Amino acid sequence: MNESPVRQARSLCHRLPPTVALLLSVAAITVGMLLPSAHLPSHGALVCVLLAALSLARVPFGVVARRLAIFLAFALLFAISVPLSQGFRGGWEMAVGILFRGVESFLAGLWLMSVVPFDRLLATLRRLHVPAILLAILAFMYRFVFVLWNELDTMRDARRARTFDRAGLIFRWRNSAQMIGMLLIRSLGRSERVYGAMCARGWDGTLRTLDE
Amino acid sequence: MTLSTAETVLEVNGLSFSYPNGRRALDNVRFSLRHGEILGIVGPSGAGKSTLLLHLNGLLPVRPQPTRASTNGAAVHVAGLSVGAANLAEVRRRVGFLFQDPDDQLFCPTVREDVAFGPLNLGLARAEAERRVIDSLAAVGLEGFENRSTLQLSLGERKRVCLAGVIACQPLILALDEPFSNLDPRARRTLIDVLRRFDGSQIIATHDLDVVVELCTRVIVLDEGTLRADGLPSAVLADAALMERHGLEVPLRLQLTRKSPP
Repeated sequence: MNESPVRQARSLCHRLPPTVALLLSVAAITVGMLLPSAHLPSHGALVCVLLAALSLARVPFGVVARRLAIFLAFALLFAISVPLSQGFRGGWEMAVGILFRGVESFLAGLWLMSVVPFDRLLATLRRLHVPAILLAILAFMYRFVFVLWNELDTMRDARRARTFDRAGLIFRWRNSAQMIGMLLIRSLGRSERVYGAMCARGWDGTLRTLDE
Repeated sequence: MTLSTAETVLEVNGLSFSYPNGRRALDNVRFSLRHGEILGIVGPSGAGKSTLLLHLNGLLPVRPQPTRASTNGAAVHVAGLSVGAANLAEVRRRVGFLFQDPDDQLFCPTVREDVAFGPLNLGLARAEAERRVIDSLAAVGLEGFENRSTLQLSLGERKRVCLAGVIACQPLILALDEPFSNLDPRARRTLIDVLRRFDGSQIIATHDLDVVVELCTRVIVLDEGTLRADGLPSAVLADAALMERHGLEVPLRLQLTRKSPP
């Protein structure tokens, strides 16, 4: 019960020391960066290796696919903008390169997040002398993404409970826009209160941690 | 700091406060608290309970700095120290504040780091902070929770971890904002027992009048920012007319003991 889902799914990859896992994923990203932009076979091979690593870590294929789809939506938008702004001749090549490198980095990151529990990842980064303020931002983000997600969930349920079967596209879009606005306001309020809570426990702007 | 029960640990001397939108939240509130007292603050929603608590460790009016808020901040003294910018750090060390929503207060990935946050900010060495983590978790009945993720706790557990984080700073006074809201009966009971064991003064803003009767040695009634009553819970909360006037009701356990069967 006190094990996170990540640790329950034991695999060979999960037994790697966090530092090794971190270095492996950074290595994969670096290799992706160094490969020639539009050399499909080498990029294809790297993607296959990463997918194999994910399956070795017992990450369900559906999870990978769903997350990749969300990532691709943004990556594609970005990639398409390159030939439009850089000219079509070299642009397409660059776009393909960006897309591949993006997917490779994403898969490597996903693999890392799946095999190393987040708090251990932070501890590892701290040992590697990543600046404390960056770690604090990561830790806060990780903590409050879930809080905000729950808040969004509640708001979505509340909306569903009162929309009945009105499902027009414009209606839904307007509703979503309102919800995003509400979430923003709630997040601002939340950040004020969190800051207050930190001050109440002596926060003076200096980050202090238990681990060296 | 060791104090005898005769000593005043908190003095609120005519505290008034208006929010920037002009709403008067507190109007000339005055009361004092002796060491070891457990004071309940009751009153309808919007009566100024939270605003009052926020003043006790200087979260208001110093932050957020309201542009048009008017206040006489020096009206609050904690163990002789006036609450103001100059004494803020020391005041916050003496007054531990428990927020209503534990998600506002739990911001570290693990329980251990979160409980250690206050002690480390007090400038304690890591070993001492670790010791405080273990002691405070034991004090709230959560031994062995050190390495649990803060994401995987029930509401009652989260509240108690927050309380451990506050206790770890060894405050003189605990200020608790609605500590019992949304707790199931068992979690509520556990929290009551934990608070009963705390060695120090407490100020509890709550709608749970039964807890006030059970736990508090004194109660004040706040309505529209004004102090309406101050006395023993069994006397104040049994006053049906007073309760009615301020949107409260006589707690069941007092109704049962007072009323003789027809």
